[in-house]
Amino acid sequence: MINLLLRYINLMVVTITILVIISFSLAYMFPGDTLTNISGIVPQSEEQRMALEAAFKLDRSIFVQFWFYLDNLVSGDWGVSFSSQVSLLDEISTAFPATLELIIYALLISIFIGIPIGFIGGIWHHKPFDFGVVTFSVVSYSFPVFWLALIFITIFCLQLGYLPLSGRVNFLYEIPHNSGFILWDILVADTPNKKDAFADALRHLILPTASIAVVTTAIFIRFTRRSIMDEMRKGYIDAAKSRGFTTKQIFFKHGLRNSLLPIIPLMALQISTLMTNAMVVETIFSWPGIGNWLIQAIYQRDYPAIRIGMLVVSVFVVTFTITIEFISRAFDPARDKFERGAV
Amino acid sequence: MPLLDIKNLTIEIDTGSEFVKALDKVSLTVERGEIRALVGESGSGKSLIVSAIIGAVPDHWVITADRLTWKGQNLLAMSNEQRRVIMRREIAVVFQDPTSSLDPSATLRAQLEESIPEEFLDKGMFWKRNKQRREIAIGLMHKVGIKNHEACMQRYPHEIATDIAQKFMIAMALVSEPELLIADDSTRSMESTTKNQILRLLSGLTETKNLSILFISHDLLAISSMAHTMTVLYCGQTVESGKVQDLHNRPMHPYTKALLDSAPSFQINLPPKSHLVSLQGTIPTLKHLPIGCRLGPRCPNARKECVKVPEQRMVHQHSYSCHFPLHLPIDEQLEKDQ
Amino acid sequence: MNVAQFNLYEEEFHPSPLMHIWLEFKRSHFALIGFAILLLFCAIAILAPLLAPYDPNVQNTNAILLPPAWEGNGSIAHIFGTDTLGRDVFSRTLYGCQVTFGSSIFLVLIAATIGVALGTLAGMKKGIKSSVLNHLLDSLMAIPTLLVAIIIVAILGTGLWNSMWAIILVLIPQFVHQTRTFVREEMKKDYILLDKLDGASSPRIFWSSILPGMFELLVVQSTLALSVAIIDISALGFLNLGAQSPVVELGASLSQSLEVAYTAPWLVALPGLCIFLMVLSINIVGEGLRTALRNRLIH
Repeated sequence: MINLLLRYINLMVVTITILVIISFSLAYMFPGDTLTNISGIVPQSEEQRMALEAAFKLDRSIFVQFWFYLDNLVSGDWGVSFSSQVSLLDEISTAFPATLELIIYALLISIFIGIPIGFIGGIWHHKPFDFGVVTFSVVSYSFPVFWLALIFITIFCLQLGYLPLSGRVNFLYEIPHNSGFILWDILVADTPNKKDAFADALRHLILPTASIAVVTTAIFIRFTRRSIMDEMRKGYIDAAKSRGFTTKQIFFKHGLRNSLLPIIPLMALQISTLMTNAMVVETIFSWPGIGNWLIQAIYQRDYPAIRIGMLVVSVFVVTFTITIEFISRAFDPARDKFERGAV
Repeated sequence: MPLLDIKNLTIEIDTGSEFVKALDKVSLTVERGEIRALVGESGSGKSLIVSAIIGAVPDHWVITADRLTWKGQNLLAMSNEQRRVIMRREIAVVFQDPTSSLDPSATLRAQLEESIPEEFLDKGMFWKRNKQRREIAIGLMHKVGIKNHEACMQRYPHEIATDIAQKFMIAMALVSEPELLIADDSTRSMESTTKNQILRLLSGLTETKNLSILFISHDLLAISSMAHTMTVLYCGQTVESGKVQDLHNRPMHPYTKALLDSAPSFQINLPPKSHLVSLQGTIPTLKHLPIGCRLGPRCPNARKECVKVPEQRMVHQHSYSCHFPLHLPIDEQLEKDQ
Repeated sequence: MNVAQFNLYEEEFHPSPLMHIWLEFKRSHFALIGFAILLLFCAIAILAPLLAPYDPNVQNTNAILLPPAWEGNGSIAHIFGTDTLGRDVFSRTLYGCQVTFGSSIFLVLIAATIGVALGTLAGMKKGIKSSVLNHLLDSLMAIPTLLVAIIIVAILGTGLWNSMWAIILVLIPQFVHQTRTFVREEMKKDYILLDKLDGASSPRIFWSSILPGMFELLVVQSTLALSVAIIDISALGFLNLGAQSPVVELGASLSQSLEVAYTAPWLVALPGLCIFLMVLSINIVGEGLRTALRNRLIH
């Protein structure tokens, strides 16, 4: 177990280091003034430039610069955004939870709807229900997520007028920023009309979450269905049947555990897809998350923002994936060799 | 009345383009306290018979039989519920590869204890019942010859040796005190000392508990030492059946004779450096099954009549299906025709 | 001694492995439909200039926002209607399909070639180099695909070619990872050992022994990559980071139609429908291939 932990920590450290190196070198690769790319400030005069260069150690060697960068990252001094001149740390800590909220809800929907449907389809495969399941999953999985969002908007906002088009909550409700998670913030806030605000926020949440969740649910259904179909064909299932257990008993005692274990790492990898889809959906719904922020950043050529934003997002994805993979391996007794489930 | 009675069992399987008779009018019986051996090469359909008995044949395959009964009850007409009750308590199967018959993510103790039928435990508080389960499990492991049960119980299937795993599978099979044990080629990849242990264990169980065994194998040596009766299967057809001694001393079907001849230990007076005897050719595949007697293309005695399936004839509890069995003289007329 | 043996073995028909796959594939009606749609898009990609009735960039101010021909006030001259600038939607769709589909196929081919080459090198050689490469690629795979694309576009600028480079960079790690795993596994097997004992050099081992076995894996991987490529290229076009006017691309057309989505819903439906059908057909064909590959081992 300790060995496993060390191995995964090692993997995480190496990956994050590489990501930091990439983020560091982006300052040089982006077009424009390197100094601006790093600091976010455009020097107004020659003295200011020299002062800034000294402050950011641009006159020293590359290793010193790298160390300086690392130091700043850890201490929270992430520089300022080129376009808004606000501290990057502040901007990201406002924007990131908004995205996280979308992603977490979408992930929960995919897990609690996708996995059971995948199981049911897989156990009674090639029966009518399974047929519907496979059709639904192939069709949903082929939808470009932005088109799905546009269709939702056309139907639910424009034609039927049920759901709102943009933002997280009607601006008439003033919710103080607490954690960044809108539903939690509403619950702990002091404002009147809490119930209305909550309902309103929910209505704002539905469409963006649904757009992202559809694709991920389809993927989870595919993984689960394939996994349970492969497991049920194995020898020990026949042996258990020959001892007189029903399919239901066998499934809950043996099938469930053995088919879930190999696909948990695969599901953790989906966080990357979720992030990509969330970014696109955020621009369509003007959802103030980190995806929207990054895309605005690139429209405005805000290079410091892109650097740091990319680092934050990647580190989050890496940490999440490696942690989940470690937990699933640590609790899985049956595998002492490195094996991945296949789809 | 025999425990297990199979007569003229035919199974047609779906090869994607057509239905093929994988088993063609197979018959065998198992009496109480009897060890019957089922012998045949790979591809002869032995495991299919097991599947038919335990009800694991896919639904779209066609099963027909004159009789397929267990203690008089017709297995084909039974509902799944009744079948399962029988499989739980009265019949037990030991499969070929022990490691793949066990759940890879559960400990051995968990798997053994979950198979203990509820009826064996006294009503009481659940910790008493768990303790009882443990005691029963340990008792079973000792009975099959696994001495250090502690080390075994908390391990996972991939962590124990194959021979211990096979003994464990037998323990799992015996946990419900069945009346028939089907051993589907369970000593296949074992070396001889372990094999002997298992065989002795099985025959000991027959004597002490009056357990009947259907022992499926192609290892003639093992069979002749412990089985009472034997059925020879070739390519889905029963070829010969009877007491082991009778088949050994007086084989009536050319295939049985070839089988016995091919094991050098059965031939005491085989001169050194002589050719090993075998039938030419190989067992036909499902797509190219010969018409009539399926040994036809390979049989040294084959004649025109062999395109018709031979009937089963009985001589003193020794039955055979052959138009030209070895104990009848070949017609001199036919010999002149060549 | 034996009487004439009956020839009970009929003419044996043993299809080659490729034929097997095709026969299995044919059994699923859906797979065939998907395949037909795919061929249709291939045809469009090649023949778009011949099929389009109008130049996609010609603006006709007399016919702005005409609905499709099957609506009330549409005209047959413009089958799918016109957009805000009077350009014929049908022609734009055809050209858009050509760009989206054609560029995706092109970049999958490049990514596959590079990825397989790198993966084989990493797989056949042992030691630190391959492990470093693997770590590098795992890190790259950790960054969400859109983010990588954004960074590349930030460095290189917008435009169809740059977005294509971005997506190639995103697709390569997948190919490398799969190829490396596969080659590593095969190198442990005995038939490679036999080749080595025969004195075969590494390139020779790769070409004649490993590559044929890798074919199926590659095909499956490529269909997956193609569907990802199409969605990503059109996503980048949608965000205006990809193809710029006058290049017509389906995602870009979709973003231009957002403003008039209320009055002209067909402008939103049609380009998206094309993307959807492209990806759907590829996924269906991919599923069919995978099932065919799995099932042909059973018979």
